[in-house]
Amino acid sequence: MARWEVFKKDNARKPYQAVGSVHAVDPEHALHNAKNVFVRRPAAVSLWVAPAAAIFSRSAEELENQPLDPTANGHEQRYLVFRKASNRRSMTFMDHIGETSAPNGESALAQAIDQFDDKPGLAWWVIPAEAITASEEDVAEAWFAPAATKTYKQQSQYGFVSKLREGRKGAVTSDE
Amino acid sequence: MNNALKNALLNRLIGMADDELILSHRNAEWTGHAPLLEEDIALANLAQDELGHATVLLGLVEELNGKTPDQMAYFRDAAEFRNVQFLELPKGDWAFTMLRQYLFDAYETILYNRLLTSSYQPLADVVAKFRGEEIYHLRHSHMWVERLGLGTDESLGRLQAALDQMWPLTAQLFQVSEADNLLSEEGVFPLAADMADEWQEIVLPHLANCSLHVPTHATMLLAGRETHTHFLNDLLTDMQQVARWDPSAEW
Repeated sequence: MARWEVFKKDNARKPYQAVGSVHAVDPEHALHNAKNVFVRRPAAVSLWVAPAAAIFSRSAEELENQPLDPTANGHEQRYLVFRKASNRRSMTFMDHIGETSAPNGESALAQAIDQFDDKPGLAWWVIPAEAITASEEDVAEAWFAPAATKTYKQQSQYGFVSKLREGRKGAVTSDE
Repeated sequence: MNNALKNALLNRLIGMADDELILSHRNAEWTGHAPLLEEDIALANLAQDELGHATVLLGLVEELNGKTPDQMAYFRDAAEFRNVQFLELPKGDWAFTMLRQYLFDAYETILYNRLLTSSYQPLADVVAKFRGEEIYHLRHSHMWVERLGLGTDESLGRLQAALDQMWPLTAQLFQVSEADNLLSEEGVFPLAADMADEWQEIVLPHLANCSLHVPTHATMLLAGRETHTHFLNDLLTDMQQVARWDPSAEW
């Protein structure tokens, strides 16, 4: 079963960010799995999925050891550009920063590195726009509605969790 | 609210809550056993949503009869449960679980849509919260029925066997009692029988598109929600045993 990379957009101001991958048989299945795995307690407005096999990927080390060799082979198409610009620990590791047009992934990446030179990239992905499937806008409410008012989705709703904490506190106190 | 109306409403609320509670328990049985890690998480999410809905509905029950959700869930015997029978059957294989979910999600989507305008405001309010989740559940099970139906000979065979077993039992969703007419006249709860056509308009085309054949000569189950299979006893033994070991324990 194919692996799909998942990109989550938390709110209107945030970019789509890579959050991890899921296994699935097709784009719709991948979106469902992405929703279930990465938006459990919702904080998102939209999801993208792309088959991992469609991604052209290079780290800074790889680029240093083996410079890109862009050629004109292939048909000109839109590529979406993702960059990891920080080593800060975080749930996300690749941000969507823009797009470019090129005949293949390697050329797209060479262009992207020139085009988006505001920050150095620790790693880069370029993905043909046509390989990306987005969650539908008409289902956004059903998929991503805030869980805040649904107390039964919060751990704290379940009495035994707080009892457990009380129990643990008690244990610490008696040790002292 | 007069007593007759109150009892009729209680009966329906308990039916809704028990449907959610029992299906939730069956779905939770997949935790750690689903065919894919991603689906394992999906089923756990689904089971948690359903359990949450059951808890909220039992909260409405408590306002009417004074029994806490825990008393209702853990200290009633099978004969007092009001879920429909096809939800209490063992989880079976993945095809059975997904088809059951699909048939039930389609029913709940229709029910929730109608309850949004219930004249019993507490019910209209909670359903408004559940509805988004239910739309999502239906998309998920709809998708799986399609993939299993149009998948391999084996997946289609398993799905058809599940349909043959379950179809006659789905009639129970649309059973009505005398008291239900009262609820419907007062705009409190829709008449279940009135939802059957809309349900068939949703599920029949999809089942056909997924290469499935609805049994035509099946004997439909016309028993009321107070009748159960022995599988409910087994389920309750499992679900209630910890709470019954020490009824005074605090959770």
